[in-house]
Amino acid sequence: MATAIMMPRQGQSVESCVLVDWLVSRGDEVKEGQVLANIETDKAVFELESPAAGTIVDLFFEEGDDIPVLINIGAIGSQGEDVDDLRPDPTTLAAAQTETQTTEAPSSSALPAPSSGATAPPAAGGGGGISPRARNAAARGGVNVNTLAGTGPGGRIIERDVLNAAANMPHMNRAAAEAASQGMTAPAQGSGPGGMVLARDLKAPAEGAVGKPLSGIRKLIAGRMHQSLATTAQLTLHMSFNATAIMTCRAHVKEKGKSLGLPNITINDILAYNTVKTLVEFPEMNAHFLGNRIAQYPDVNMGIATDTERGLMVPVVHGANNLSLAEFSVKAKQILKDAQAASINPDLLSGGTFTITNMGMLGIEKFTPILNAPEVGILGVGCPHLQPVMRDGEVTHIQAITLSLTIDHQAVDGAPGARFLKELCMALETFELTTGG
Amino acid sequence: MPKHQIVDPTQERKPGKLEFPEVPLNAYDGTIADELKNLGKDALLGMLEDMLLIREFENMLNEIKTAGVYEGVEYDHKGPAHLSMGQEASSVGQAFHLTVDDHIFGSHRSHGEILAKGMSAIRKLDDKSLLAIMKEFMGGECLSIVESNIKTSSVKDLGRQFLVYGALAEIFGRKPGFNRGLGGSMHAFFTPFGIYPNNAIVGGSADIATGAALFKKINRKPGIVIGNIGDASMGCGPVWEAINFAAMSQFTTLWEDEMKGGLPIIMNFMNNFYGMGGQTSTETMAYDVLARMGAGVNSDAMHAERVDGYNPLAVADAIKRKRAIIEKGEGPVLLDTLTYRYSGHSPSDASSYRGKDEMDLWHNVDSIEWFSGELQEAGAIDNNGLETIKRDIVSVTASACRLAADDAISPRIQASFIEDVMFSNKQRDSYDESREPELLEVGANNPRIKLLKKRSRAGIVDGKPAPKNKVIQFRDAIFEAVLHRFKEDPTLVAYGEENRDWGGAFACYRGLTEALPYHRLFNSPISEAAIVGTAVGYALEGGRVLAELMYCDFMGRAGDEIFNQMSKWQSMSAGVLEMPLVLRVSVGSKYGAQHSQDWTALCNHIPGLKICFPATPYDAKGMLNTALRGSDPVIFFESQRLYDIGELFEPEVPEGYYEVPFGPPAKRRDGSDITIITIGATLYRALQATDILEQKHGLKADVWDCRSINPLDYEPLVESVKKTGRLLLASDACERGSVMQSIAQNLSQMAFDALDAPPVVVGSRNWITPCAEMEDSFFPQPEWILDAIHEQILPLPSHLVTSNQTTGEAVRRARMGV
Ligand SMILES: Cc1ncc(C[n+]2csc(CCOP(=O)(O)OP(=O)(O)O)c2C)c(N)n1
Ligand SMILES: [Mg+2]
Repeated sequence: MATAIMMPRQGQSVESCVLVDWLVSRGDEVKEGQVLANIETDKAVFELESPAAGTIVDLFFEEGDDIPVLINIGAIGSQGEDVDDLRPDPTTLAAAQTETQTTEAPSSSALPAPSSGATAPPAAGGGGGISPRARNAAARGGVNVNTLAGTGPGGRIIERDVLNAAANMPHMNRAAAEAASQGMTAPAQGSGPGGMVLARDLKAPAEGAVGKPLSGIRKLIAGRMHQSLATTAQLTLHMSFNATAIMTCRAHVKEKGKSLGLPNITINDILAYNTVKTLVEFPEMNAHFLGNRIAQYPDVNMGIATDTERGLMVPVVHGANNLSLAEFSVKAKQILKDAQAASINPDLLSGGTFTITNMGMLGIEKFTPILNAPEVGILGVGCPHLQPVMRDGEVTHIQAITLSLTIDHQAVDGAPGARFLKELCMALETFELTTGG
Repeated sequence: MPKHQIVDPTQERKPGKLEFPEVPLNAYDGTIADELKNLGKDALLGMLEDMLLIREFENMLNEIKTAGVYEGVEYDHKGPAHLSMGQEASSVGQAFHLTVDDHIFGSHRSHGEILAKGMSAIRKLDDKSLLAIMKEFMGGECLSIVESNIKTSSVKDLGRQFLVYGALAEIFGRKPGFNRGLGGSMHAFFTPFGIYPNNAIVGGSADIATGAALFKKINRKPGIVIGNIGDASMGCGPVWEAINFAAMSQFTTLWEDEMKGGLPIIMNFMNNFYGMGGQTSTETMAYDVLARMGAGVNSDAMHAERVDGYNPLAVADAIKRKRAIIEKGEGPVLLDTLTYRYSGHSPSDASSYRGKDEMDLWHNVDSIEWFSGELQEAGAIDNNGLETIKRDIVSVTASACRLAADDAISPRIQASFIEDVMFSNKQRDSYDESREPELLEVGANNPRIKLLKKRSRAGIVDGKPAPKNKVIQFRDAIFEAVLHRFKEDPTLVAYGEENRDWGGAFACYRGLTEALPYHRLFNSPISEAAIVGTAVGYALEGGRVLAELMYCDFMGRAGDEIFNQMSKWQSMSAGVLEMPLVLRVSVGSKYGAQHSQDWTALCNHIPGLKICFPATPYDAKGMLNTALRGSDPVIFFESQRLYDIGELFEPEVPEGYYEVPFGPPAKRRDGSDITIITIGATLYRALQATDILEQKHGLKADVWDCRSINPLDYEPLVESVKKTGRLLLASDACERGSVMQSIAQNLSQMAFDALDAPPVVVGSRNWITPCAEMEDSFFPQPEWILDAIHEQILPLPSHLVTSNQTTGEAVRRARMGV
């Protein structure tokens, strides 16, 4: 009896995984537990281990295939064994693939969702794809189709998807559009008549640039970011606070933390933790904007944006409002480490209700963070800098940090956003280690 | 159903006995001495010469086929050669009394008949006429090759060389051949000598020859027609249909005045006792003696006789006597001309079905041996004279072979020429300008015309569709177009089942009975093959004909006639023949599985047919006008769902003459969101879907009515798809292999880059048509169209599907074969 190699379900939210590469081929002898393939979810890469020892009789999928979870992707047995029983049924497979596509369609899209029909979704011909007409429109309009979500049958990208995206792009002539669709970048204003972008306005990739196909995660980030800007109304507010209090705390932890039994609580931990506490008081900021309704959440699931080798990741500390500062600090450190290692449980990369992102260590003072839609707020943290203040009639300098709060103006107006930010700054300026408990 | 002919029970129920006339067998008892006196020495020697010519011609082909060389000329002939060695006396005897005006039609085994009839014509034509024919034919190309390469002693000699070379070049598929090489061995013919198409379909000539005789009779043309077919063809349904058609009672009971009388045709069976390998009288057929069949046809037993085809004089005598019968108006005639072929059916035939002893018996009575021996005995010729004739003949065949085998002298036609002769594309008001059309009541007193005068020509009155009985309907549009052409073209005849008196099963011809004499509008027997086959013969003789099949489903009965005859003779003749034949075909519904089918795809698949399917009264009249003024075969589809509708798109159905061209589809709605193409009555259901699309979903469809199926101008359709990016096609034909599938496929290629979704075809289920009450589960419905758009082209918000139009379902159905 042959043993199936099954695509595992890597966390509750994962419906399908991309087969990055096979490390074995048909006919190879393998040991139980040997790594057979690398598998990528939309959030992480993991290794697929052999469920049994034997010969690889067949591999049912090719590298690059997007495969629904719990489907057999290969078979291990003895040389020449008949493994047709283990082969996935083509219709199930096609249907499953379509389902995956549908789930991935953005929930905030104002466009009609595919098929409310009483019948099964298309089995053949669907599975996403792009119509020739849409492809042409993309080439003409310089739209990068990799970032689009299709609204045609089975998630096919059709012309209207491209036209919608193109409406947000600069006006280009034909040559420029073609070049842009190949990956050249266009400025918002060109040197042609009426600001039309011409081919010469496009920035060529630097000399000797190496073309690299997008990885699954890169594609996902690209899509998410573009989606965010295309579907939300982003407004960024900046406010600085006197960081003396939190820096004192940090120094204190450094000096005495160990002896007090405290973990290594960082400035970041203090910032994020205060944000969590403030969010509890501003439930409208701890919410998702879902097109026709707003969902406010009782618990704060704090996403912490972090730079990894594979790109931007946002691991989430679930139920952060129920944690002490010390607990929060431990948890945050663990998930940040996991995210770096790519072995993170995919469920910990989703479900955030608010996100914090810190560019201070890179010397950035303030910036305009992009919302992690459908979240309605994201807090950017800059680097500490000296700021002159008047104290007792004299100019003196304090260490200040600038916070940049981006809100989705669709869900939250500027004034409540500002009040939230003010409250947070006050909390930080008056922070004492004990208050955090 | 003429009311004055009473079917009287007292007559019909009387006891009695049916007597059959006697059928003579080999009754000829003339002698050489008699015939030398009657016909003269030269005539008899001429017969002998022609028999020798045929023998040598076939011998040449046998050598070429089996040894690849004849008289030093090496040649590889890849095509067929069904030889007739042994049968020479039957064809030479037949041709002897025929004039150029007498027309013969033949079979796959007709080389001998071509040569015999050709030589007969050459002998009978004066030199001037003969030369003129040869000079005119295809610009004198064939003649000039003969003239510049072969020395001939006289115009008649030139004529013989021309005949042999022209026929052989045709058999070898050469451009100077009689049909530019497009006919070949089994279809060669030369109309100026009265040699009409030979047919590779067994028995194919029976109904075509009957139609030719119909043409001669109705248009008062001189001459008789002979349909030469094999003994085995007596087993073919269309042959029986043709015989009955030729012998219909109405020619003597109902046709008026000089039109009274039987058809001028001899249905001649070249009875060589075999099909390919099956023996006929003792194995595959029931007749025992073929001539018996005449006795079952009419009270004259068709003047049937068995004639000894091993004696040319017996055959000549029979033809002379039968012609006299036909000229008295007592045709048709059936002849059983016995003969025997020495050669195999074809060069690949190993003669496994007959023994040497049988063949020896026939060789012992070989007609050429016997006839030349008799003539020598009678002192008409000596051995030297005979040898001279034989040498002379070999020089004729050898010269022809040398020229016909030579690629430089006898090149092949450019393939693109075939494209030019698929259709003749002529516009002819009349096929005989010299005559006035024969008409009865075609003025205001005609009951139909009187009725139509009171009806609204506009289909929409005060913004609403006019009531059916107050408007010019689709069937009225048909009537007007037909009547118009009857008034213009004296050669036009119309027939089909229940066409006269009843006015056609769907009343299109009501009023024509009053307008036309019998011989221009008559009821045919229930013989779909003969309806179409005779129409083919009528048309290729140069007359315009409008035939009708009551239901599309009956087309199968006329399969060969539509698919092999009607469609092919223009091109197989290299453009010599025209085929002004319009076949009206009605597509039904409500009557179940054998009365509801749309077979446009079957016709569309066959090269050489023009096909249309108008869906509006305006187009029905305009397209029928176009078809009836053309020179090409047209299958004119009509939907029974539409016979009573008024015109909803054009302001009115004009009273006067106008044409709607073949080619362009008609735009019925303007929109830019999706292109919808329909054929026939499906248009109206597609328009319902179009309305829903607009009202519920804000989508506007560009709706096209594909009224002309072949030819079809794709440009407007491509433009439309480029505009909308989306394409749905619907018709009532079963979806698999339908015309819509081929249009969808073509548009996928022509507008691929413009497509935002695959073209989707909504057709009828690949089932039988169920009962009328269940038809909405079979024929495309407006909801199916919406469902197909929703599932495969563009999701329609909040649309609830009622049918399964997904690709998964299509895969399932295909897997099940349904
Ligand atoms: C409709 C049709 N069926 C079968 C054939 C194949 N076929 C060609 S000739 C032939 C025998 C015909 O016999 P007959 O009509 O007696 O003519 P013969 O060959 O004896 O001259 C057959 C079966 C054909 N050409 N057409
Ligand atoms: Mg025969």
